[in-house]
This record gives sequence, C-alpha cells and structure tokens, in this order.
Amino acid sequence: MAQCVQSVQEFVQDSFVPMVAVLCSEEAERVTRKNNLNFAELLRPFCRLTSEGHMRDPNNQVQVVKNLRIFVNNVVTSPNRPPTALSHAQSKILNEVVLSCQPQEGVVNNVVTAGDYDLNFSATTPWFETYRENFLQSMPASDHEFLNHYLACLLVVSSTEAVPVEQFLKLSQEQHRIQHSGEYTNPKWFIPNTLKYYVLLHDMSEGDEQRADAVYEDMKQRYGSQGCYLLKMNTRSFSAEGDEQIPDPWSQYLQRNILHTQVRTAIGDLNGVSGSLESHPLQLDITSSSGSLHTLGAVKTELKKGARDPESLAGGAGSHGACLTLNDHDHIRQFIQEFTFRGLLPHIEKNIRQLNDQSRFTKSLITSIDRILSGSFSENMVYPPEAPELQIRKMADLCFLVQHYELAYSCYHTAKKDFLSDQAMLYAAGALEMAAVSAFLQAGAPRPYPAHYMDTAIQTYRDVCKNMVLAERCVLLNAEILKSQGKYSDAATLLIKMTSEDSDLRSALLLEQAAHCFINMRNPMVRKFAFHMILAGHRFSKAGQRRHALRCYCQAMQVYKERSWSLAEDHINFTIGRQSFTLRQPEKAVIAFRQILTNDSRQTATQQSAFLREYLYVYKVTTSAQKIHLPQLPLPCIHCSATRVYFGHERRLAEGEKQAATHVSLDQEYDQDSADMWCHLEEQLVAAANRGIVPVNFQPTQCCLNSQTDNQRHPLAVVEEPIIVEVTFRNPLKVSLALSNLSLLWRFTADDAPPSKEKMTNELAITNEEILALGVGVTVYSGFFVLCCHINIHSVDLLLPTGQQTFDVMVVHGKQDLMIQGPRLNQTKEDKMTVRHGHDQRLNFIVTSPMPLMEIFFLQFPTALLCGEIRKAYVEFCNVSSVALCGLRVVSTHPDFFSFGSQATTPLTPVSPTSAENNSAYKTLATPPQSGSAAFEMLVSAEDFSQPSGVIDIPIDGSTLQPGESTQLPLWLRGPDQEGVHEINFLFYYESTGKGNKISHRVLRHTVFICASRSLSVQASACRSCVPPHHSLGDKGGGGTLIFIDVENINMSEAGMREFHIVQVSSSSQHWRLHKCINPAKDKDCKLTSRERAKLCFRATRCKPQKGTPYRINKPYLSIISSSTPCGDFFFRGCQTSESQRLDAPSSRTSCSSKSQSCVSTEDRSSDITNIVRKCNELDLNIIVIWKAYVVEDNKQLILEGQLHVALQTIGKEASSLTPREEAQEMVLLKFKSQLPPPVILPSAELSQLVKTSLHYPETYTHPFVQDSLCVVPVTLTLSNCSLAQVDVIIDLRHKGTSPETLEVHSSFTWVGQTQYKLQLKPQEVLCLTLQACFLQAGVYNLNTPRVFAKPAEQGAMCETSQQTASPSLIFINNA
Amino acid sequence: MNYTSRANNYPLYIRSVPTQNELKFHYTVHTSLDVVEEKISAVGKSLGDQRELYLGLLYPTEDYKVYGYVTNSKVKFVIVVDSSNTSLRDNEIRSMFRKLHNSFTDVMCNPFHNPGDQIQSKAFDGIVSGMMVQTG
Repeated sequence: MAQCVQSVQEFVQDSFVPMVAVLCSEEAERVTRKNNLNFAELLRPFCRLTSEGHMRDPNNQVQVVKNLRIFVNNVVTSPNRPPTALSHAQSKILNEVVLSCQPQEGVVNNVVTAGDYDLNFSATTPWFETYRENFLQSMPASDHEFLNHYLACLLVVSSTEAVPVEQFLKLSQEQHRIQHSGEYTNPKWFIPNTLKYYVLLHDMSEGDEQRADAVYEDMKQRYGSQGCYLLKMNTRSFSAEGDEQIPDPWSQYLQRNILHTQVRTAIGDLNGVSGSLESHPLQLDITSSSGSLHTLGAVKTELKKGARDPESLAGGAGSHGACLTLNDHDHIRQFIQEFTFRGLLPHIEKNIRQLNDQSRFTKSLITSIDRILSGSFSENMVYPPEAPELQIRKMADLCFLVQHYELAYSCYHTAKKDFLSDQAMLYAAGALEMAAVSAFLQAGAPRPYPAHYMDTAIQTYRDVCKNMVLAERCVLLNAEILKSQGKYSDAATLLIKMTSEDSDLRSALLLEQAAHCFINMRNPMVRKFAFHMILAGHRFSKAGQRRHALRCYCQAMQVYKERSWSLAEDHINFTIGRQSFTLRQPEKAVIAFRQILTNDSRQTATQQSAFLREYLYVYKVTTSAQKIHLPQLPLPCIHCSATRVYFGHERRLAEGEKQAATHVSLDQEYDQDSADMWCHLEEQLVAAANRGIVPVNFQPTQCCLNSQTDNQRHPLAVVEEPIIVEVTFRNPLKVSLALSNLSLLWRFTADDAPPSKEKMTNELAITNEEILALGVGVTVYSGFFVLCCHINIHSVDLLLPTGQQTFDVMVVHGKQDLMIQGPRLNQTKEDKMTVRHGHDQRLNFIVTSPMPLMEIFFLQFPTALLCGEIRKAYVEFCNVSSVALCGLRVVSTHPDFFSFGSQATTPLTPVSPTSAENNSAYKTLATPPQSGSAAFEMLVSAEDFSQPSGVIDIPIDGSTLQPGESTQLPLWLRGPDQEGVHEINFLFYYESTGKGNKISHRVLRHTVFICASRSLSVQASACRSCVPPHHSLGDKGGGGTLIFIDVENINMSEAGMREFHIVQVSSSSQHWRLHKCINPAKDKDCKLTSRERAKLCFRATRCKPQKGTPYRINKPYLSIISSSTPCGDFFFRGCQTSESQRLDAPSSRTSCSSKSQSCVSTEDRSSDITNIVRKCNELDLNIIVIWKAYVVEDNKQLILEGQLHVALQTIGKEASSLTPREEAQEMVLLKFKSQLPPPVILPSAELSQLVKTSLHYPETYTHPFVQDSLCVVPVTLTLSNCSLAQVDVIIDLRHKGTSPETLEVHSSFTWVGQTQYKLQLKPQEVLCLTLQACFLQAGVYNLNTPRVFAKPAEQGAMCETSQQTASPSLIFINNA
Repeated sequence: MNYTSRANNYPLYIRSVPTQNELKFHYTVHTSLDVVEEKISAVGKSLGDQRELYLGLLYPTEDYKVYGYVTNSKVKFVIVVDSSNTSLRDNEIRSMFRKLHNSFTDVMCNPFHNPGDQIQSKAFDGIVSGMMVQTG
C-alpha cells in the first residue's frame, strides 16, 4: 500500500466520528447563504477540536478525549433501507472523485531501486485516499451498527426571525417527527432521545444585536445554558469587501462536501424524495453527460490547487465565507467547542452510563430468555432496536466514538460473543471488525492486533451477508492497519482477495495498492508489483479511468522494458499507445506504437497487422494535427550502411548495333579485387598523363560508393549530372508494406542561388521480410555556375500505406533519416577501448563545375574468337557533355588483346562498317609476288608498334573531342592464345581541356568477356643442319638451321566444319631469317581439317645483326604484309607481354632478344661456361603463322583469319604456340629441411653443340686398286664454332676402338697425315681442315671416325666433349 | 503446459503449449521470479552451497501450478502446469527439472553459444518438446 498523508490512528479515528445533524430554519439558511455556504458547511472546517476534552467512564475514571472530530451534516431523509452495495450514483461519484484526483505533473517521484531495477513512481496515491475517504463518508447507515447514526441535532434559527423561540419549537418537533414517526428509515438516530442543541444565529450586519441577546437569554432560561448558543457572524457586510485577505478554510472541504451532498442528493433523487437542499451553487446534475463531469473535475482540480495555496483563491469570486472575519471564524470555533464539550460529551457520557447499567442488569436475564423464546436463528436475523445485544453494541460504539477504546473493545467482544451465539452473522461481523479496530487503537497495546477477527469479519461480510460495501470498508481498515505493522504481504493478499468483477474501480484501486505493497516489502517484489500494476491498469481502463490506467501501465513498463519479455512489452506498449491516444496525447501514443513495431516482434502476422493499423491511424491523426515537419517513421527499416550512391546517368547498354561501354552500374556487386585492379589501371593512366609520375593527391575515381569504399572524403559530383542513391529497406514485419511516392530530401548549401531539384518517384511494395533496394535519383540542375556546394541527403521521405487488399488502404506520410555511420575506428588506444566510428561522407557531395562526359560504343565487337584470331572492330567515342575533352588514353588488363594500329601505318580515314565486312583484316600487297620467289624482307622498328607501358594513347583527330562530337576508330582484336573465357578490362581516360578543375580527369570502364576456342597448335623446333648448304654457296655454310613447324588443327567444334589454311609463315628475328620452304611435299597451300596435322620445314640463315633495325620480317610466300598494322601490332604486343612475363619470373633464363642484353652476357661469358654454351645454342627467332579458317555458321561461310606466334629460343628445343597449362598446384607436404640443390653438371649435350663438324668428301670415289693399292681420298673437315667464344678444339684421328671387331672394321681404312690437331676457333669462325683418308680396298666406309673435342678457351678444366655426330658418313670406294 | 528457463531475469527460453494466450504465461513466469528470488534469499544464507536446487511449488494460481528450480549459477527454471493435471507430482516435476538442467548444461557447453543469448538449440527444443508431449 502506498504511503498516506494521515497516520493509521488518525485515519481509523476519522473513519468513525460522532455524527451531528443540522436542522435550519429558512431564515438561518438565508443568513449562512450569504457566505455561499449552508450551515453544516460553514461549520465543517472547524469540526476538529484542538483542545482536549474530558469525560468520565462508567467507573468514574476520567477519560481524555484528544483531537476529536465531529461530523456535521444536514438532515436528508429517505424511507429506504440501506443497500448492501453502493448505488449506481454513488459509484459514479466515487469514479469522479478518483478521476479528478490525478498525480501532479512535475512532482518528483521517488526512485525505488530493487535489484537491478530502478523504478520511478509516486509513493503516495492521493486518488486512493480520496476514494477511501469518500467511500467511508458515503457509507450508508445500517441497523447493525450505530457509528454513523446521528448522535445530536443542531437546531438553527436566525435572530431575525419574528419569534425565534417558536421556530425552535417547530424545528424540534420536526426533528422528533423525523426520528420517531417511522416515516423515514434514513437518517438513523443513535439514541431515542437525541441531543437537541439550540443555536441562535445572529447576523451582525443585519439584525439588532440587543434583540438577539435578549432572545438568547430567553433561550438560556428555557433550554439551559448548556443546551443553546448564540452564534454571531457575518460581521463584514457583503458589499464591503475589503482588501483584507482571509484564508478560506472551506475550499479544502468543499469539494468533499459537494460530492457528499451530491451523493445524498443523488440518493434522494433516485428515491424520488428531494432533499432539503434544493440548490447548491455548484450542484450539478450528476446524470448529465461526462462533459459536465469534466468541468466538474476541472473545478475540483482548481479547488485542489487552491487548497495548496489558499491565498490564490481567497479573493476570487464565488469564494466562501465572504462575510466572515477572522473573529467570526473564532466564534464558530468556540461554538463547536462549546457544543462538543458542554453538550455532546456529557450527553454521550450520560448515555454510556445509562447503557452500562441497563446492560449489566439485563444481560444475563433477557438474552437467555430471548434465546429460548425466539428459538429460530438465521443469518438475516434482525434484532429489535431495544435488544440488549444491540444496547451493548451501542455502548461500545459510543465508547469508541469518544476514544475509550478499552471499554469499547470489551463491549465489542461481549457483543461479538452474543451475536455469534445467536448466529447473527452481520452483527457478529460488525462487532468483530470494531473489536479488532479498537484493539488496534488501544494505546500501549495490551493485546496483539487480532487480525483473524478482521479476516472473519471480511469473510462474513462478503460471503455470508453479501455486503460488499461493508467488506470493502473492513478491507480498507485492515489493510491500512496491516501496512502500519509492516505486514505488506498479508495486506496485498487481502487487497487482491477483495478485487471482484462487480466493481472495476474498486478492483483497480485495490490492485494498485497491492502492487504498492509488493514494492514496499523488505525484499521488494518488483515483478509482482509490475504485474499487479498491469492488472490495476486493466481494471482502471475498464472503469473508464484512462489516465490512471495509463499511469499504471507506464509504471509497469519500467519493469518490463528492454528485458526481452517482448510479448509483455508489446502488450504494455500497445495499451499505453491506446490509452495515450484516447487521452489526446497522440505523441505519446505514436512513441509507444513505434516501440512495438521497431522491436523484433514475436507476434503473429494478424497481431502485427493490427498493431500496424493502429499505429498508422494514430500516426495519421498526429501528423494531420501538426504539419510543420514530417515525423519519423519506424518502418520499414533502412539499412543505412547499405546505401549506395552512384554518380552519373543510368547508362544504356546497347544502341542498335552499338554496344556501349559497360562502365559501372548499380547492378554490380562491389568486389575488392576488381576495385584494386581498376585502381591500379587508373594509376597507370594518371602516371602516363603526368609524365610517369603519379601525383601525390591521386585518388581513384569512385563512381559508385558503398559501404566498402573509402568514404572519408566528400565525393565530387558534377553539375547537371544525376546522382542515384540506392537505399535498402527491410520490412521486419510479417505483414507486407507498400511504399509509394518515395523521394529524397536534401539540403543544399551554396553561396549562389540554389538549384532546382527533381525528384524521382517510385511505387513499390515490400512484402514481409523482404529486403528491397531501390534507386532514387536526384538531378542537380543549375542555371548558374555553381562553383562548390554541398548536398547533404539526410533522409528519405516516404509514404507508408499498409497493403491489405480487403481493408481500405491507410496511407501515412513520414520520413526516415539516412544516418550513415562510418567504419569503426581501430587505430588509437582510445578507439580500441571505446566504440568510435569514422565519418562517412557518402551522401555529402561537393558539386563541381561541368566536366566532359564521354560515352564509348563498340561496333562489331565479337564475343567469341578462335585463339589467335584477328578481328576488326570499331570503337566510337562520343563527347556527350558541353565541355571539350582531350588526352584520351586507354589501359587494359590484356594489352595484347587489342590494337588501334601503329601511328605510322594506320589509315586515318574512318572506315564504315559495311564496307569492311568482306575485307580481310590484313593488308595484302597490291601485286602478289611470284610464288616461290625470294623471300620478301622488310626491316621494321619495334618502336613503331610497342608502347612505353600498357597505356595506349588513342589516336583521335586533333587529340580533342569537341562537345557533341564523336569519332570512330578501327580496333583490331586478337583472340587470346589460351582457350576459355577471358575477362578483359579496359579503362579509358580523358580529361577536360580546361584546367583548374576539382576533378582532374575522368575514366570510363569497360569489361568484355571473350570466349576463346582452340584453333591451331603450332609447334616449332630448330635443328642444325649437318649438311652444308647446297645452294647458298655464298654463305660460309656454318649458319644453316632447319626450322620445323608442326601445325595441328585442334579445334574441337563440331558445329561448323572448320578448315584451316596456313596462309603465310613469317619470321622475325635480329639474327635470323627464314629462307624458302623446303617442304618435302610441295603443296603451297596447306589445308588442315579437323585433327589434321601438317609439317612445314624451313631453312633459316643467320644474318648480320644491324643496329636500329633489329627485326626482320620475312615472308616466304604469299603476300600479307606481316609488318603492317594488325599483324605487327599483335606480334610485338605479344612479344612484350611474354618478355615481361619472362622477366618477371625470377627463375627464367636470361633472354637475349635485345642487343644490349647480349652484350651484357658477353661480359659474363668468360666466367660462365654454361652461358657460353647456351649462347651458342641460342636461336632468337619468332615465327608468325598466319592462317585462314573457313567456317560455316548459319549456312554462311565465313573466313576467319588469325595468327599464331612461336618464339624459338634455342636450337633443339621445341616451342609451342600454346603455352603449357599450368597445372594446378597440388598440395605438397611441407618440408622443413631445404632440399640440397642438385650439383651442377655440365650438360654434355649442350656442350656438344659448341662446334659443328661436317665432313666434305666425294660420295663415291673410284680408284684403281690394281694400279695403286693405296687409295688416298682428301676429306675436308669443316669446323664451325657456333658459340660466341673462343673454343679450343682437339681433333684426334686415331682410332680408339674398344672392341677388336671395330678395330677390324676400321683397320680397313686409315687416316694419313697429321692425326691430331689442336686448334683454336675464334667466335663463329669456320675452319676447314683437309684430311686424307687412305683406303686399301674398295668398299663402303664410314668416315665419321674423327673425334673432336672442344672446350671453351680460358677454361681451366679441360672438359672435352665428343663433338662427334652420330650419323655415319659413308663413302663408296669403287675399284676402277 | 508451459516450460520456461531464464537467467538473470532475462528470458533465455520460453516455450508454451498451446501457443494461444502466450502473453498470460509470460506474465505468470515473469511474476513468479519474485517468488523465486524470495525463496533463494530465504534459503541461500543458511545452507550455503548445499542448497536444494528444486524450489518446489512457487505458488498456485486458480488454473496453474508454478514450479521453480534454480541452478547454482542462478539460472532459473520455471514450469507452469495446469492445475487439473494430477498426474504430475512433485517427483515428476523434479525429474523434469533435472532433465532440463542437464540439457541446459549441454547448451552452455556449446562453444558457439554466447551466454545470455536466447537459446536456439535444436537439442534443447527437442528435450523440452519431449517433456511437453510426455506430460500431455
């Protein structure tokens, strides 16, 4: 139970006070009316006695009466029996009382800390106290107890009356009539001979004072000085209202008074008997509408306030006691005191004595007789008024009223026993109740409080007598007493038990008190408190006490809030929302409803939709009330961090045949790898544009900002270009929401005039739990040159209708903020300790001056190519902005994939696509040379084709593109060498012609996917020809090398029959050139159908390296100028990339494709033998195979062309156009010991290639052995040094056969002359030695017996190797 | 039939059969925590660690009986059963709690479970459902 203003003793005492009736003459009534009061009201503030009274008990002991209060009331008559429950009107009044008593706003509530709960609620419940007081006062008088029966009657007559004494007589008779005629059961009178006290009212302003005094003297004579009083009042004239401020003691009581009288009047009205009070200034028709009740409430609250601050009300119109001075107040007080001590207390004393005697005498006798006589006992047993039991009860009541609790207790106890034995349950219960109360009130407490008396009483009242009013009174008393004893738990149980279905208000109040009991326990029961608060709130709302209901729910909310009791929380929030709304606090309602919707709801879909509809309704009402700014909507949830911002137009991807550059679109997912790749490409471009240096403040262009991009800086937006913002919504509900009319709200800061804005609208629906992203665009238009401005998109403005088809659609309009939090900082210690977030400037743009905008279109761009296929396409550059652009560059991840052609050879005339259709990509000679004629040779500089880096300047006319201008360029593409799908990225770069822009350049991305399918596989190998060249005798013959080219059709496609024709084979080398084809099969055009293989054989010769023109392109037959644009471009591109790849790889061998490198290696040669050897075997020859393929596709024959490159590095090693597939790295067991590198062994095979030997001799030699038995044949041994180092050569002609057999064979011929030579060969020197072989007889001999040992000069160790070739050199010796 | 387990007065797991009128059970369970706390504070001091985990019948309402159980780490289990269900006696309830406790321990042993989160374990669900079905 909540804390009360009064103490328990005070409360209980005040609950039972002596009742005094008032009968007024009309004239007296008029006098008091002047003060806006009736007589009873006039006295009321002074009814508490401040001084002590004394009286004697039956044992002549003096009893002190302290702090006595009497209750003065007008007599209201009614014939009815008291009801056992409160009448409708009464409960309505109580309802009003409670309604009007609300907790003060701004009153500091006390905070109760229980466990981890901090609860904030008011400890006092004034509405409950008011209710209790009113309830107790409106208790109907009943027969079984006398406490609220009238003890005395004041008869009031004015001195202005003609004959006051006569009036007194009249009133006295009236009183007698009321009491004894039996017409009225109400009011009830305590004792048959009621104390009549005669009061002469004298109006000082009107009447003659002396006359009044005279009358009073007369009265004294007649009634005795203790039975009458002259009350002088109204000293102040009504008109003469001075400035004197007199406190208004009535205001405090008046409200209660009004209600009380109302109750009485109401009862009277209902009973058809009008009371003596016809008109009260504040009397209201209580059956009227609640509107007037509200005003009444207002008046009451005003009065309540007035009570706190009496000054404020005292001077107000309609105030009470206007004609009374402070002296008059004292008079009244004196009068009450006089009346009580002189009249009332002696009267009571006398009666107690009388009753005591009576009871002592009759007790033993009459009761027993009576009991025997009556015989039958019933619960509804009614004692006659004169019954001795009732006399005891009466005496007990009297003792109780005058605070003689000890005697009262014993009397009650006696009475209780009697009643119980008579089975008069109602009487017994009453006696029990009062016995308990008086036991409690006994000072010094000789006996413990008999709580069980109370329990029995309550149970009897409720269950046996069905008298809820009495039961309730009993509960209220008992609970208060228990509370004072700290028995909160018992009190709570008691209060909860008393709740029932019949009265919501009572149940609500009692439940609330029970809740307070729980929280006030030694171990506060917070949750029980909350639960009962909710129950109380529920009952309050049923009783129509919305404000109280709301308060209860709010208090309970503190316990349930944020403790994941979501269902309970939702329920409370919903109720709070509803109550707030009906109480015209829609803001609160909106907040409460929001809570339900933002929580992760566990509710069912139907429940959610109900919540949503309620919310939308409330929201709509709120927003329609105030239209200043849009309120926030809780739904749908915006994923702020998922917001994406895209700068630029929505791009069209294709326009007829033209295919636009893909650039960046919102459809693309952000991928860190690709972003890095683009950034790297852009860096290359910027470096190329800035003479190779990347500026310090370089930042990669970001077209699309999302959560992963770096959003630290303000993004730059270009004026007049759109910005697309993509916002992601999520619907957390199970109900679908429809969104419409979405628009972005933005703020713009500029020194110039603000630009107009355009909103894009979208209709869309989010179904349950769907995540939806939509783009909303804002275009910034400006008539002015806006140098710099910030656009800050801060919220999304949206309409939120609920999409239930069957219901009418409710649409609300609200906004949601876009608050993007940057990534969490984790740099400093402070960052790590706390949660800090960086800035995210994604939505804060800086709008800059116009920039050029280029669009790129591709024409005839293929999607599938054969490996090595050459295709011509066109690219169109359009400047769609109003600013000229220049500095067009492109960089790609696959620089060897495309070419714009070299500057020197490109035809600058734009080619129309149609005319180029049948043309080959290659250029042919105008006059094809004779087939088989000498190889055509052309010197080309590599610089013509190669680019300094991967960045390629795009050769457009005049290097600038004017606004609106577009230009078309041819573009050659070559299918990648490896089959499969290739992603090829282009990054185009351009800048404005104007300088000083915030944005230095712009880029455009393009990504293509090319599907490469297998075409031909070219394998080439070279080997030294052993035979000296037959034809080119001009050559010294040492440099002859044979090139074998294996071409295989490895195309797998079955669909279109493909036939490949080898059109041309070109070579490119610094030192070598291809000579004519020496194919054994002499077909000129070699055709390859599927899976066919062809072998081509060429002879290559060495030629002198020439500085400056290091490459010779050689074409043995046919007429394609392989040195010109497409072919040359791709060839050199390919070289570059493969070279760079080789250079990148750390383990790769030194290449010697360029002159300078070979020079370097010359230096090293002396020290490194392997180098020398390798050098010797080096063959830097690139072969270009140009082919044509005939493909049938869609019943159309197509001719495709292409080229494949093979780089021959060393002699004897096979090279292939197909780079070997890198095998997937298999999982290898980790080895912790490093493996020892294998010992370097000189590859003898390589060393054996140092010197080339060949024997020259006549194939057949005819010798007349008959004439000369010795046949000497001259044989020339040609030694050619293949290496670039000096080589020591030892030639040993002696046979060193190991087996006797071979000895025998060899013995048939012998070398004559010098048999061992030691020679030194200069680099590349060719030396001829003339040897002589001596034959003894005709036959076939193998001349290949000389053993040649070679070692590089200056090499310490003699690592000789046999340079002998294995093949036999046979000579036929014929006998002539 | 309604089973609940909670720790630190935040619900860890609530399950009720039938599902309608779930709100009422939530309120019941929440309110019963006060009684649980009262019982712990009354018992805890005298017996120390040796206290009985099973708290017995917390309080009977008109329609339901509420039983409580508190682990040593102050995780509270509450079982609400229909008053009309006479087949469940103290021993059955006790064994149900023990089962629940074991299962709860298993959940806590899951290294991926964050203590204090709502329990979303299928095994735990299964055990609870099994008990509910069994007791009808």
